[in-house]
Amino acid sequence: MAEQQTQAAEAPSSEEVLALEYAIPPKRRFNPFAWIRSEPYGAFGLILILMVSFGAAAAPILNTADPQEFGVGGSLESPNADHWFGTGPRGKDLWSRVLFGGRVSLKIGVATVLIGTLAGTVVALLAAYAGGVVDFIVGRIADMVIAIPGILLALTLYSAIGQDLPDTPILSRQEFTLVLAISAFFMPGTYRIMRGMVLELRESQFVESAQVVGASNFRIMWRHIAPNMFGLMIVITSISLPAAILTEASLSFLGLGVEPGTPSWGADLSGTSRQFFVRAPWLAIFPGLALSITVFGFNIFGDSLRDTLDPRLRGRI
Amino acid sequence: MTGYIIRRLIAVPFMLLGISVMLFLLLYIRPGSAAFAATASIGDADPESFKRFEERFGLDRPWYVQYGDWLWSAVRGDFGETLTPPQDPVTGQLMERLPNTLQIGLLTIVLAAVFGISVGVLSAVRRNSIMDYILRGIAIAGLSIPNFWLAILIVTLPAIWWQWTPFATDWYSFTDDPIKNLAIIIWPAITLALASAAGTARLVRTSMLEVFFSDYVRTARAKGLRERRVIWGHVFRNSLIPVITLIGLQTGAVLGGVVIAEVIFGIPGLGRLTFDAVIAQDYPLVLGSIMLFSLVFIAVTLIVDILYTVVDPRIGY
Repeated sequence: MAEQQTQAAEAPSSEEVLALEYAIPPKRRFNPFAWIRSEPYGAFGLILILMVSFGAAAAPILNTADPQEFGVGGSLESPNADHWFGTGPRGKDLWSRVLFGGRVSLKIGVATVLIGTLAGTVVALLAAYAGGVVDFIVGRIADMVIAIPGILLALTLYSAIGQDLPDTPILSRQEFTLVLAISAFFMPGTYRIMRGMVLELRESQFVESAQVVGASNFRIMWRHIAPNMFGLMIVITSISLPAAILTEASLSFLGLGVEPGTPSWGADLSGTSRQFFVRAPWLAIFPGLALSITVFGFNIFGDSLRDTLDPRLRGRI
Repeated sequence: MTGYIIRRLIAVPFMLLGISVMLFLLLYIRPGSAAFAATASIGDADPESFKRFEERFGLDRPWYVQYGDWLWSAVRGDFGETLTPPQDPVTGQLMERLPNTLQIGLLTIVLAAVFGISVGVLSAVRRNSIMDYILRGIAIAGLSIPNFWLAILIVTLPAIWWQWTPFATDWYSFTDDPIKNLAIIIWPAITLALASAAGTARLVRTSMLEVFFSDYVRTARAKGLRERRVIWGHVFRNSLIPVITLIGLQTGAVLGGVVIAEVIFGIPGLGRLTFDAVIAQDYPLVLGSIMLFSLVFIAVTLIVDILYTVVDPRIGY
């Protein structure tokens, strides 16, 4: 009797075999400590990102003075107890300016990358799915845009569309222009990577079966192809973000972007303040250091995100 | 192979044509602003002179007429006249500045390749040693430091410490005095090379590690080759393909960075010319110089594609 029972337990029925075969593995709970152990660099990057984001978000609480006000300290005071990062030529508090400058960089960087990646992906999806002439033309346009050095493209776009945009609740007119000008530079790259992905997915069996069942093209693109591109999109976004922040800072440095006087890491390193750098090196060091730390954090976090989500991309983007 | 090169060469004029249409539309999108900017810069803003200016440069005609006109001269190597006084021929200005920028670009790419590849190889051969970790850390930091900040530090810090700065107040071209010329352009080249070298080093390391554990490397060791021979003849050569791609891609970044480096180091090159032209809204000059930048980029991409076949005989187009 007992022997029979164990035998029955040992030989599973065919349904149980099927259930085992197609079983969805139990969802592993995300363990932050295990992740930190396996990706220490990524974790360090995340800490830096959180620090910078916190500094930017809590700037009105952490600051010691109004970043735009003249004469809160003496002219060109070196870092001291009242003015932690020193003061500028007309007595602006640098610590407060660096805090608020982070807002501009993060805001424009994130907006740029979101628009650039999203637009590049949508164009890739439509063009590669349509194939033929459309795909060819869009591909050649992408080639042309890539052939123009990014900074010059952004400079030209900025001066061409400059005055025609409205103010938005989040971004001022200049910032919005800057976002569009820089995102034009991320679109063709995203397009190229995404196009390959769409071509691969278009030939897959699940798309074929959807076509056989009679799903519309829109439904196939939206419900079957797009969700599969999501992981790659996250990776591209995180890899492009530091580049976007750097480009924004470079353009602000060249005098485009934020309104004069607005705290911004790139703008604070340029213009009239440059003539004081030899007498007051802190003016050159702190905004640049803040920028470098931010980009560094995003770089190492993006790398580890790429390796975790899609190791095949190593070396490709 | 020859057929492939010919096909690529035939595509070049079409790409330039496309780029010129794109840029032209972008720059002439707001007719009149060019004349406005130019007359304002002369300090003469009354409507009468504005109109005279427009007529003189034909800016009152429809864009396609202007474009046809521009194209017809451009094909014969004449890019028109600058709008800002003294209304020099654009082509002459471009040709005067081009050699300086090409020098910087070339030196940058050579420095980046030499340092990037040697650091990458060292990192890969001594993988997971302390030196590897230090070199990788430096490489990620190098990727994160904005080139304009590095340039500012290079100009500022020596001025503080030794009352000497590499900012070029007097310009010597290579034909004037090669040594003095090199002493000037080495600084912008170092500035721009850091990020490229860091990217190259990382890629060399990963792609060499991928090859290190392949079967043919084991075979090479098994048949008794010296380690030096294995590394250079087998591992290094096979890991070069992605590296060449990257160096080609970096050309775009270097050409963009040249703008900033030339502005900061005070070098009379194409980048500064373009930047000044964009600020002055001198459209014929902007158009001409960006076309030239694109041509350089397209040429480099073509050379890179041909280099593939030299490095990897398996690739035949």
